[in-house]
Amino acid sequence: MFKGLIRFKSAVLPGAFIALSLLGFAFLLFLTLYGSQEGSLFTQLDNRIYGLLKFTLYQAFLSTILSLVVGVLLAWALAHQSHFKGRGLLVALFSSSLVLPTLIVVFGLIGIFGRNGYLNQASLFFFDHSFGSYIYGLGGILLAHVYLNASFASRALLHSFEAIPKEKYKLAKSLNFSVFERFLYVEYPALKSTLLSIGSTIFLLCFTSFAVVLLLGGSPSYNTLEVAIYEAVRLDFDIGMALKLALIQLSISAVLVVLSSGFRTGLANLKTSHTLIPWKEAKVLQVIQWFIIGLFTLFFVLPLVVIVVDGIGADFGRIFQAPLFIKSFVTSISLATVSSVLTVIIAVALSHTRRNFALSTRLGAKPFANVLDGIIAFSGNLYLAIPSLVMGLGFFLLYQKTEGSEVVWATAALLTANVLMSLPFALSVLTPAMHKTAQRYDKLAFSLGLTKLQRWMYVEYPYLKSSLGYVFALAFCFSLGDLGIIALFGSDEFSTLPWYLYQLMGSYRNADAAGVALVLLLLVLSVFVLIPRLFNGDNIAKNK
Amino acid sequence: MIKTLQLLLLLTLTVFATEKPTLTIYTYDAFAASWGPAPKIKKAFEKEHNCTLKFVGLSSSIGALRKIQLEDKRTKADVLLGLDTSIAQVAKKTGLFVAHELNTSKLDLPAPYNDDTFTPFDYSFFAFVYNTDKLKNVPDSFEALANMPKEFKIVIQDPRSSTAGLGLLLWVKSIYGDKAGEYWKRLAPHILTITKGWSEAYGLFLKGEADMVLSYTTSPAYHIIDENRTDIKAAAFKEGHYGQIEVASVLKSSKHQALAKQFLAFLHTQTFADIIPTANWAYPVVKSTLPKAYETLVHPKEMILMDGKTVQRERKAIINEWLEAIQK
Repeated sequence: MFKGLIRFKSAVLPGAFIALSLLGFAFLLFLTLYGSQEGSLFTQLDNRIYGLLKFTLYQAFLSTILSLVVGVLLAWALAHQSHFKGRGLLVALFSSSLVLPTLIVVFGLIGIFGRNGYLNQASLFFFDHSFGSYIYGLGGILLAHVYLNASFASRALLHSFEAIPKEKYKLAKSLNFSVFERFLYVEYPALKSTLLSIGSTIFLLCFTSFAVVLLLGGSPSYNTLEVAIYEAVRLDFDIGMALKLALIQLSISAVLVVLSSGFRTGLANLKTSHTLIPWKEAKVLQVIQWFIIGLFTLFFVLPLVVIVVDGIGADFGRIFQAPLFIKSFVTSISLATVSSVLTVIIAVALSHTRRNFALSTRLGAKPFANVLDGIIAFSGNLYLAIPSLVMGLGFFLLYQKTEGSEVVWATAALLTANVLMSLPFALSVLTPAMHKTAQRYDKLAFSLGLTKLQRWMYVEYPYLKSSLGYVFALAFCFSLGDLGIIALFGSDEFSTLPWYLYQLMGSYRNADAAGVALVLLLLVLSVFVLIPRLFNGDNIAKNK
Repeated sequence: MIKTLQLLLLLTLTVFATEKPTLTIYTYDAFAASWGPAPKIKKAFEKEHNCTLKFVGLSSSIGALRKIQLEDKRTKADVLLGLDTSIAQVAKKTGLFVAHELNTSKLDLPAPYNDDTFTPFDYSFFAFVYNTDKLKNVPDSFEALANMPKEFKIVIQDPRSSTAGLGLLLWVKSIYGDKAGEYWKRLAPHILTITKGWSEAYGLFLKGEADMVLSYTTSPAYHIIDENRTDIKAAAFKEGHYGQIEVASVLKSSKHQALAKQFLAFLHTQTFADIIPTANWAYPVVKSTLPKAYETLVHPKEMILMDGKTVQRERKAIINEWLEAIQK
């Protein structure tokens, strides 16, 4: 037993080391930002900053509420319509919203909902009426946020719906509950914790939203702090202002993360089932549920269809030959590969250490195990606390102070951002899986006296394979589609695909932009579908 | 024998070593684009001087200035082209540019401009441009513009990144003075979106996303000459039109000072003046015969232009006033 304990301690080290360096990194970042600014921070909270803050919070609040309402409706409809052809495909499709590049989504949404988009064109054709332009401004921001977050919320909520014991439904039916009462007393209690955790995550994501607001905000009328930081650096060259905004942003999101960390679990619950709910729906309800599913499917699929339709006519011969396209493509793929490998390694180390603290059979019973577990969990969620633009600004200042090459600093900044962005999702997939392997195989592994390597090869890896593949694909896609920090560093010498696409959209080369958007979309979707398969390979017996 | 071989080798090496110098010019995208003036200028200038001209197009000209500031000593730019007289003073303050040593007093400009660092290369007037088929009730003043129906939308540019956006701000400021903020509040509901540069805004307008776009009185010439369409027009405003004189300057850090200054001198030649009206769609600063289409354009008698020093002093305040007025 004593020998075993030593083994446990050595197993704690890598994770603790990573967690500490992540936290140390955050602290250094804060110091760099704080040390670089001149004058006091809070004396000059002028009207503009106040207005920015107000709008940032306001749009995040509205986006969260709307995403949750749409998400609950969709999950409710899907839960009660559990047997139709293509349901699995549909649910899988909705879950891909997590990895769709924001830029692509916005591009597609403008194609549908723009003043000259398909919706207005159809409406003009049939009813001789145009809805005008509503995509730029708050409307567009909300639309894009709901698109990105409602589908992701519905996935997790559907899982909660399906976890409700069937007996509860039977009981409710025998008590003659109305549909509303059924929701209030049977379904809502089961959703509550998911609503809190998903809601707080969506709020943080919208609070730090960058690409959506940059493209649809019609800036600077509708600006979030993130976009204001970008503009202060790139448009005004006003580093002092950028610092001030960054510190405000950092303080608020850090507080929000700490407040909500208690109920943020299960970000990426992805297993669904087809259990039949023992309650036959009335005809009217069925129609309503079908309507919800149909409407949301259209809302979700049409923008993607637009990208395919608009992109297919592009002159790909010319696009693929453009030197900047090739450069961006190579940079994007290499960055994505390196950052997804790093993400997997870091996520495994962190969740490995966490399970040592969490399980009472290991170190869970030790004093402070809870606190240590919490600290490591927080380090994994760092991305939500440190908005990427703020982090980018830190790297940017370092780049300015040192004489180092821009490419090196930009690469470091992008890799760090991509890894941190993927970690919360990676951890929420890996941590429960690794807990399970420990609970299930600890006794066996120790009694057999397996070495670390053996244990990893015969116990952990086969069990975790599919989760690892999923995490790898997730990190790869996040990195591929991100338009954040690159906005601070992007140039002709250093460019990624999303940055290249943003540049094309800015100049009026729309045909080329449509082509590149299609390339990016296909790339992300195929990675998301193929990489997990690659990992699963011959493994037919899926981990149940 | 070996000596001669060595000599020959040395000779070929020096021939390769004295490769043509490359002059790098940072400018805005529409200027550097394949359909812009850059290719024609490159051809003409390279023929006269043994060198390579490289245009780097950024989303806006102020964006190009910021890029140079960010790159600091590492910048590859030799010349910055495309700022205007309003922002030039701000750029001059950075101390990154050198005097041009040219005589600019004989230039054909609608308003006098003499600066030892920045030199003019073309000019035009700001105006709102529209499509005659789609917009019937055309506003003829800033008041009429703000009083348009609710669904009427315009696209403008961000004054922090685009000289056009800044021009509009100064235009409004010189008409409304202290009431400019109040005017912007009234105009705000009609602003569809604010873009970083002129190209993006004009692209949105051509796609039909907006009724009017802030551009130039000379923009319709492009559609008449290159596309043979007369439905794009600039609206004449009663209050007069603010002007834009575009300027260029040489970077202090440039390793090709002599060549760069030759390029600035080239901007005042007849060759350059003949390229500008049908490639950058603006008036040249040297007298030359303009294409016929230019006779149909709105041509303001006077050019409203704020003094560069005043702009440098008050730019931040004017932009902040605007930001506060339009922020929701």
